[in-house]
Amino acid sequence: MKIIRAALLASSVVLLPHGAQAQQMDAEVLHWWTSGGESAAVKVFADEFNNEGGNWIDTAIAGGQAARNAGVNRIVGGNPPTVMQFNTGGQFVELVSNGLLRDLESVAGENDWRSVLPAALADAASRDGKFYAVPVNIHGQNWLFTNLKVLADAGVEQPQSFAELIAAGPKLREAGVIPLGHGGQNWQDNILFDAVLLEEGGPGLMKAIYGDVDTEAARGAEFRKAAEVFAQLRALVDEGSPGRNWNEATNMVLTGKAAAQVMGDWAKGEFIAAGLTAGTDYGCTIMPGGYMMGGDVFVFPKVDDAAAAAAQDKMAALMLSPGVQVAFNEKKGSVPARLDVDVSSMDACAQAGMEALQNAEAQVPSNNFYSPDLVGSVRDVITEYWNSPAMTPDDFVENFVSAMESAY
Amino acid sequence: MTAATENTAGRAAQEPAGRRPRRLTAARVGIYAFLVIAAAFFLIPLWIMIVTSLKSMDEIRLGNIFALPMELTFAAWTKAWSGACTGLECEGISVGFLNSVQILIPSVIASLALGAITGYALSFWRVKGANVIFALLLLGAFIPYQVFLYPLVRMFAATGIYNSLLCVVIVHVIFGLPLMTLLFRNYYAGLPIELFKAARVDGGGFWQIFLRVVLPMSTPMIIVGAILQVTGIWNDFLFGLTFAGRENLPMTVQLNNIVNSNFGEKEYNLNMAATLMTALVPLAVYFISGRWFVRGIAAGAVKG
Amino acid sequence: MSSVTDAAPVPPARKRRRLPYAAAIALAPTTLIVLVVYVGCMLWTVRLSFTSSRLLPKLDWVGFSQYERLVSSSRFLVSVENIAIFGVLYIAGCLVLGFLMAVFIDQKVRNEAVFRTIFLYPYSMSFVVTGLVWQWIFNPTLGLQNAVHKLGFGWFKFDWVVDRNMVVYAIVLAAIWQGAGLVMAILLAGLRGIDEDLWKAARVDGIPPWRMYLSVILPLLGPMIVTAVVLLATGVARLYDLVVAMSGGGPGIASEVPAKFVMDHLFERANIGLATSAATLMLITVAIILAPWMYARYIRDGGRR
Repeated sequence: MKIIRAALLASSVVLLPHGAQAQQMDAEVLHWWTSGGESAAVKVFADEFNNEGGNWIDTAIAGGQAARNAGVNRIVGGNPPTVMQFNTGGQFVELVSNGLLRDLESVAGENDWRSVLPAALADAASRDGKFYAVPVNIHGQNWLFTNLKVLADAGVEQPQSFAELIAAGPKLREAGVIPLGHGGQNWQDNILFDAVLLEEGGPGLMKAIYGDVDTEAARGAEFRKAAEVFAQLRALVDEGSPGRNWNEATNMVLTGKAAAQVMGDWAKGEFIAAGLTAGTDYGCTIMPGGYMMGGDVFVFPKVDDAAAAAAQDKMAALMLSPGVQVAFNEKKGSVPARLDVDVSSMDACAQAGMEALQNAEAQVPSNNFYSPDLVGSVRDVITEYWNSPAMTPDDFVENFVSAMESAY
Repeated sequence: MTAATENTAGRAAQEPAGRRPRRLTAARVGIYAFLVIAAAFFLIPLWIMIVTSLKSMDEIRLGNIFALPMELTFAAWTKAWSGACTGLECEGISVGFLNSVQILIPSVIASLALGAITGYALSFWRVKGANVIFALLLLGAFIPYQVFLYPLVRMFAATGIYNSLLCVVIVHVIFGLPLMTLLFRNYYAGLPIELFKAARVDGGGFWQIFLRVVLPMSTPMIIVGAILQVTGIWNDFLFGLTFAGRENLPMTVQLNNIVNSNFGEKEYNLNMAATLMTALVPLAVYFISGRWFVRGIAAGAVKG
Repeated sequence: MSSVTDAAPVPPARKRRRLPYAAAIALAPTTLIVLVVYVGCMLWTVRLSFTSSRLLPKLDWVGFSQYERLVSSSRFLVSVENIAIFGVLYIAGCLVLGFLMAVFIDQKVRNEAVFRTIFLYPYSMSFVVTGLVWQWIFNPTLGLQNAVHKLGFGWFKFDWVVDRNMVVYAIVLAAIWQGAGLVMAILLAGLRGIDEDLWKAARVDGIPPWRMYLSVILPLLGPMIVTAVVLLATGVARLYDLVVAMSGGGPGIASEVPAKFVMDHLFERANIGLATSAATLMLITVAIILAPWMYARYIRDGGRR
């Protein structure tokens, strides 16, 4: 690492007219984008920053939890990175309330972030009316990916809703394929349930459950219907599902063992790596109810010297600039966080996602935006229900409500 | 010890230890059968890892985990060592190798030394309250490490050595201490006390007895302790990440970056190759330490 | 507890004053670590379990409310049950297999180093990837079941990792695979430390080897077995990586364990209060299990044996 850093420094000194200034624009960036595709995406930011006279120092740690933990420890230990990644949502709230992060109001005002970002995203990045984070992308989490050849062979249309998917089940079984390739890990069960919940209850129910923690909503008819539909989906998966990684489920779809998968748009990376094209080899549909938005933000810990603050300002502005947004999200598989950019160069799924997002009604915050304790607690209930065919929807509702009541 | 198989008992009684029985008896066939079956059980996962590391991703997607690769490729191995991207840098796991060595050597030596001395003091000497210390130490060995992280970060930040090589070495010594102490303490408890008494009568002091009498008899335990610590410290990811500082990040941070990406595409061949390669250092230690295991008996240490 | 230790300052230490002094100095670093790090962190953990701390610790006071939530959480109760099953089977399995391997390898076998390395190598690998491999092996559509079906035995069933009732045993098996070799190494070191004269005496008396192992060698290996048990037991308390890699705690919550409960709440769910209350309960449980044994072995009897 030492050698690399020295080499980086040396090269920047040679390449740039003002060596001393290059040092002043050091920015250590802590993130968890470590796979091949993700590395290519983060390189867009780094190259742009370095082109503008900065010196990007990369600290990559795989796994959001490990990276956030390392970063938070460094912030409280008094040795913070210059820039640090979080998921869009509430993960960094306490860092703000403890006064550990810089507010980005000046950059945000200059670049008019409030008018170009979806309102939910701008809200999630701000506290008390001030921006504390830069949203850099939107990951749709309620996509249905399908193998078009498998569907055609079985004589099934691309399903546009969970009802259609369930209806297509028997036909797909007859054709010898698993209707739904599902990775049975708790967070994937959660994504599947939320997609059903959004279809049955719309954005209002999502917000009532996760945002307002409204137990009456969880006892209502729409929620119960969602619980029933979710239970019907069990018939579509195979016996090997529990514990499976999301990408193995994606592999089942792209090799034709399974017809479909409900997953976030990061699954496109696997299709692309296998050499398949959106629209011709694989289909992608946003399930009804809206576009369930997740994604990533960057925050900027308070720093002592003015040079580092200048580097932070530059980075913040650059990450949300239109050209960088498109280039970054093309590589990342997500769609730009700002809605005013031209995405005609992106793949068919991304274009569909961007089109859906133009409607403010369809901008649905995923559960990432809400209390991690609440989401975790109900996730335990959801995964238990999914794996317990004997549990009735009524039992599920009761367990769900008590999880809501115990969490903060 | 040849006596364990009855048929060879007579021969072994006349011959010094170390000779192998020449005839194959039923009992020896049984011994080898057990060992071979056990070895097979232990090797199955290794087999899967090796064949997977030699396949292309297209082949892995077919899902025949036991099958030999149809087309042999070493691409994953070279990529894992020097080409895989772990963030912006695409230099594989080789990047942190020297850092890992730099952390490993002082940490292992320091924790073995402290464990041996503590174990020796606890088992041969009476120090007031020492056993309470030992009990608390053992209790501490049962807490998940992660609970310690936050207070330790604050402590090290206060002393000004947070995020340095020294810091991570100290952390490894701290968390190796319960088991190292237990290991040496219990081993010394099994040694005959008469040895110690004789040394005392000869006027040996605390350090003299340790260096001249106790340490030379510790070879088998030093090996076991080294196996434990080398493996634990070499494979550590959490402490290196939290305490070493970005200049000293160990190889496992790179390994983790390769195998543990949540949402990027997964390359299993690469993951297997990187894991196998990372394990080579502890494996080498296991294999080489074998000689010392044998030397432990040859020295006949216990008889003094 | 400390008053008990005062009871027996026995002869060796008494003879000259400067000697226990040297021993006390030698113990100083350990004492410091124990008091500052271990005791300090334990007290801190207990204190935080009475707070409403989320992402960052804060020192308010909420009484026992985190504990109330903990004991009403079905996930925590399942975790406790699982760790009990796992602990017993894993420790017993590793001890039996490890002892047998140590004894058999100690029969002057050919290629001893090869066998020893084969038995030990799993210990050198992190669970992140080996756990995944075990998940594949136990998975009905990928692993052993699939392979045997392809050979034409359609009745064969081996799907522990997706079966809520069997998943714990799958994790036990994978953990034994990793840990047994280390027990072998520890016991082998113990066997190599046993006096050759004992064997000679046994031969003269015509005692069969299996009796020697059971009635003489095993008791002699006592301290080594204790070492192995403690080592394995800390692994039980800290069981986390393997579960994450193999089952993620599933199917459902069927294979959740306490350390994973602590970890998930400490970081991902930003609920330090609940996490530390679970850690405190684990600590108390361990203390209750350890205390009688620690007292009998190390405190009442003094230092040696």
